[in-house]
Amino acid sequence: MYRGREGQWAFVLHRMSGVALALFLLLHVIDISLVMWGPDGPFNAFLAFYHQWPFRVGLVVVIAGVVYHALNGLRIIMMDFTTWGVKYQAPLWYGVLGLTTLIGIPVLWKIVPEILGIA
Amino acid sequence: MARAAAPRTFRDAQATYRTNGELAWWVFMRVSGFLLVFLTFGHLWANNMAFNAGQIDFDYVASRLAQPSVKVYDSFLLLFALLHGVNGLRYSIEDYIQRPQRRVAAKVALFTVAGIVFVLGVMALWTFSFSEMGDAVRALNE
Ligand code: HEM
Ligand code: HEM
Repeated sequence: MYRGREGQWAFVLHRMSGVALALFLLLHVIDISLVMWGPDGPFNAFLAFYHQWPFRVGLVVVIAGVVYHALNGLRIIMMDFTTWGVKYQAPLWYGVLGLTTLIGIPVLWKIVPEILGIA
Repeated sequence: MARAAAPRTFRDAQATYRTNGELAWWVFMRVSGFLLVFLTFGHLWANNMAFNAGQIDFDYVASRLAQPSVKVYDSFLLLFALLHGVNGLRYSIEDYIQRPQRRVAAKVALFTVAGIVFVLGVMALWTFSFSEMGDAVRALNE
């Protein structure tokens, strides 16, 4: 019933995105905190390194991860605190995927041209 | 205890967790998760949609952190995202690392790193006055 069905995929993706975001956050706070060394410190050199396209694509993946994890997190909260949430968990999950895609469109529209250098 | 099948209702959770501590974390994950929807979406909007993330540099961050509202906002983001994320990583450690010694070692490493990152994050937000620091550096260069 559970293995290989929507619920398991939802869980695996939720866990992968959560773990990836937590690791990103640890790095992110460290690199932002380099501003403490001032305008002539390591910050600008570091950021210039991160502005290379593979890292910009990485940020897009981070954004996608946040949106999926947030919406699926709301789905989990609904399953936990409503009487009907568990019954509709599968359609709710397709809703999560649909909304994630929908939010992704304007994000990609804004950021892909920036990465390609044509914005 | 394997957490792969997390408890599904508040009453389930009460029955599953022997300690009030774990029950409190279960509630915290849901409350902080709800708040993080607004905190992370607002943060991503400011730095990716209202601005070109490929142009973030010292001046941009200093101009953001010179605003008290951004400092307060980022403090809540830091606090909730770090607690929520680190507790989530702890769940994964408890699921995948079985040997007691390794499990303890992994948790000690995780909490140490998280503690250092928290201190760095708070310092970056509160111990410098970015408007004054910018002025001071400009004065030096004149
Ligand atoms: C944006 C809004 C967010 C919501 C609504 C949300 C919601 C949730 C919920 C409901 C859980 C399940 C907790 C449990 O099983 O008891 C969870 C787990 C988790 N979250 Fe979040 N979260 C959000 C943001 C984040 C962020 C920013 C991070 C990273 C810093 C993160 C990392 C994790 C991790 C690592 C787990 C554990 C995954 C697992 O046990 O499978 N979450 N989240
Ligand atoms: C993916 C694109 C992201 C970009 C371009 C970005 C950019 C930035 C920038 C420029 C700052 C400096 C202060 C400010 O402007 O608010 C900052 C700080 C911060 N960001 Fe992000 N961010 C991103 C994603 C995230 C995510 C997903 C999280 C949470 C899980 C996060 C958590 C934080 C925190 C906690 C701080 C404060 C750091 C400190 O205490 O020094 N960011 N970010």
